[in-house]
Amino acid sequence: MTATASSESAKVEDFIACGAADAIPRFYGDALVEAARRDPRIVCLCADLRGSTETDLFARELPDRFVDAGIAEANMIGMAAGMARCGDIPFVHSFCVFVTRRCYDQVAVQVAYPALPVKIVGFLPGLTTMLGVSHQAIDDIALMRALPNMTIIEPSGSEQLGAAVEAALTVDGPVYLRMKRPDTAIPGLLPRSLTPGKGEILRLGRDGVIIACGVMVAAAMEASRRLAANGIDAGVVNMPTIKPLDETLVVESARRTGLIVVAENHSIIGGLGSAIAETLLEAGVSTGFARVGIQDRFAEGGSTPYLHAKFGLTADAIVEAYERAAGRRKAMLASSSAA
Amino acid sequence: MHGELIKERQPASHIHDPDELHAIAQELRRQVIRMIAPTGQGYVQQGLGAADLFAALYFSELRLDPADPTWPDRDRFLLSTAHNTAIFYATLAARGCIPDALLATYTQDGSPLEINASERLGPAIEATCGSLGQGLSVGVGMALSAQRRGRGYRVYVMLGDGEMQEGQVWEAAMAAGSHRLSNLCLILDYNKMQVGGHIDAVVDMNPIAEKWASFGFRVDAVDGNDLEAILAALERARRHEKGPTCIIAETLVGKGAPSLEGVLGHTMRLPPELAQRALAELSGEQL
Repeated sequence: MTATASSESAKVEDFIACGAADAIPRFYGDALVEAARRDPRIVCLCADLRGSTETDLFARELPDRFVDAGIAEANMIGMAAGMARCGDIPFVHSFCVFVTRRCYDQVAVQVAYPALPVKIVGFLPGLTTMLGVSHQAIDDIALMRALPNMTIIEPSGSEQLGAAVEAALTVDGPVYLRMKRPDTAIPGLLPRSLTPGKGEILRLGRDGVIIACGVMVAAAMEASRRLAANGIDAGVVNMPTIKPLDETLVVESARRTGLIVVAENHSIIGGLGSAIAETLLEAGVSTGFARVGIQDRFAEGGSTPYLHAKFGLTADAIVEAYERAAGRRKAMLASSSAA
Repeated sequence: MHGELIKERQPASHIHDPDELHAIAQELRRQVIRMIAPTGQGYVQQGLGAADLFAALYFSELRLDPADPTWPDRDRFLLSTAHNTAIFYATLAARGCIPDALLATYTQDGSPLEINASERLGPAIEATCGSLGQGLSVGVGMALSAQRRGRGYRVYVMLGDGEMQEGQVWEAAMAAGSHRLSNLCLILDYNKMQVGGHIDAVVDMNPIAEKWASFGFRVDAVDGNDLEAILAALERARRHEKGPTCIIAETLVGKGAPSLEGVLGHTMRLPPELAQRALAELSGEQL
C-alpha cells in the first residue's frame, strides 16, 4: 500500500465534495455500477475526482473497466472516443466546467462530430460550489447545446440521479449529464423516472407556467406555492432534457397560459431560457416571458445559499420574474386590444 | 475454394523487400503530384517526405482487409496530422481501401476527399483528426480497449513534429506510458517543418528522444526515408512488450523530387510547371 490514502480508506472529512462520507447516498454511482454489471460495454473514466463523481464505487467494483485519466481532461475525452470506436460505452467524469469548457474542442471533434456513444458526466453545475469562478459551470449548457448531435440532460435532483444513467443509455449518441450530488442523506426519497426529450408537468397551472431544470425545479415549486398564496395559479414543468427540447410541451404551455418563466442554474445566455425563447418565437407564440438565471456575469466563491441569493437563483427571484412576465403579458394584451 | 469457410484476413501483400516498397513509394509520390497539380493546393512537401512511411505501413506492416474495412481485429492507423492527405489518400487507393477514381476529386467541393481527412470518407479514416494534438489520445483509447478486451490488434499513430507543441500530446503520452501500452506505436514524422518555418525556430522541441523516453516510450530514431530502417524499427516496436514505442522518423520534405527537396513550405502552392518538373524527376529515377 502506498502512503496516499484512497477515498475509501481516508478517514479525513472531505470539505469540498463530501465524496467519501458514507452518510451521503450515491444514487448516480450506484446506478452506474448497476448498469455496467448489465452491459459489459460500459467503461468508466475519471479525471482524479473519484469521490466527487461517485466513481470510486465503479473503481472498486469493476476495476478492469475503470481508467483514472488523471488531471488531463482533454486526453480523457480523446481516450473515451478511441474506446467508443472500439465498441465501448464510456462514461467520463469530472466537474461540469472541466468536461465542457476545458476540453471543448476535443468534445466537438472526437465525440460530437462522429456522434459516438460517449456519456460526458459533469458535477458541480452552475453556482453549487464554494470554489469560485474557476469551478463554476455557468456556460456549460450553452457550450454543449451548440454542438450538433449532443443531448443534454440535467436531473431535477436526487430523485432523478439514478434514472439519468438509464436515460443516457437510451440515447445512441453522445450525452452530457449535468449532475448535482445530494448534500445530505434523504430518508424516504422516491426515485423518479426520466424520459429523454420529455418535460414533466409537476403542477399544471392555469395562469402561467414556470419551466425549470436542475436545482431550480425545487425553487420553482416553492415560487408556485408563494404565487398560489396570492391567488395565482402558476404551473411548474421540470425540463430535464435541455436538448433536444420538448418543444411540444413548451409551445402548448405558452399557448394555454400566455405566460412563461424559465429558471435555470446557468447563465441566462445560451441555456434553457434561450432554447425556450427561440422555440416560442419560431412557433409564432406571443407570450409574457422572463428568464431567471445568472445575469451575464461571473460569480464568486461562497456557500450555495449565499450565492443563490446574491445571483438571483431563488424562489423569490422566480416570483419577481413571474410578476415581470405577467406585466408584459398585460401590456401585450392591452396593445393588441387597442389595435 | 475455401473462401466461404476460411476468410483470408490478411490479404496484405506484406512486402518485406525494401526495393519493392521503394518502387511503391515512388509511385505514391507521383500520385501526390498528380492529385495536387490541377489546383496547386495540397500538402505536397509533407506528402513526398512521408511517402516511405506510408508505403511501409500500408504495404508491409498493417493488418487490414480492404474488403472488410470494419474487421474488429484490424490494426488501427490514425493520421493525427490529418492535413497530410494527398499521400494518405494515394496510399489508401493503392492499397484498395478507397476507389482509385475518387482521387481525381481530391479537394473538390462535395468530394469526401477533403483536404483534412474526415470520416465522411468512410471507415478507412479511423477518426477525424486535424485539430492538432488529438490523434494520440484516440490511439491510447483504442489501445486500452484492445488490452482490456484481449484483442491482438495494434494501434499506429502518425504525429507531426510541430504537433508536439500541443499540450494534449503529452497528456496522451503520460497515459500511454503509465498503462505500458505495448500495442501502441507512435510514428513521429520528423520533417522539421511547421507553418512558421523550421520547428527549432518556432519552438525548439529538443531534446525530442529524451522527452519521449522520459514519458515511458521506447525510442527508436531512424531515417524516415530509408525503407529498410523503417521496417526494422516497426518490427522492433512489435516485439517490444514492455510499453509503447516512439519511432522518430526523420524525413526530408519534398523527398524524391530534387526541385522540391528541403524546401520549407507548409502550405506551399504547387505551380503547374513545378508539378511537371517534379513528376519528371520522380519518373526519371525509375528509368
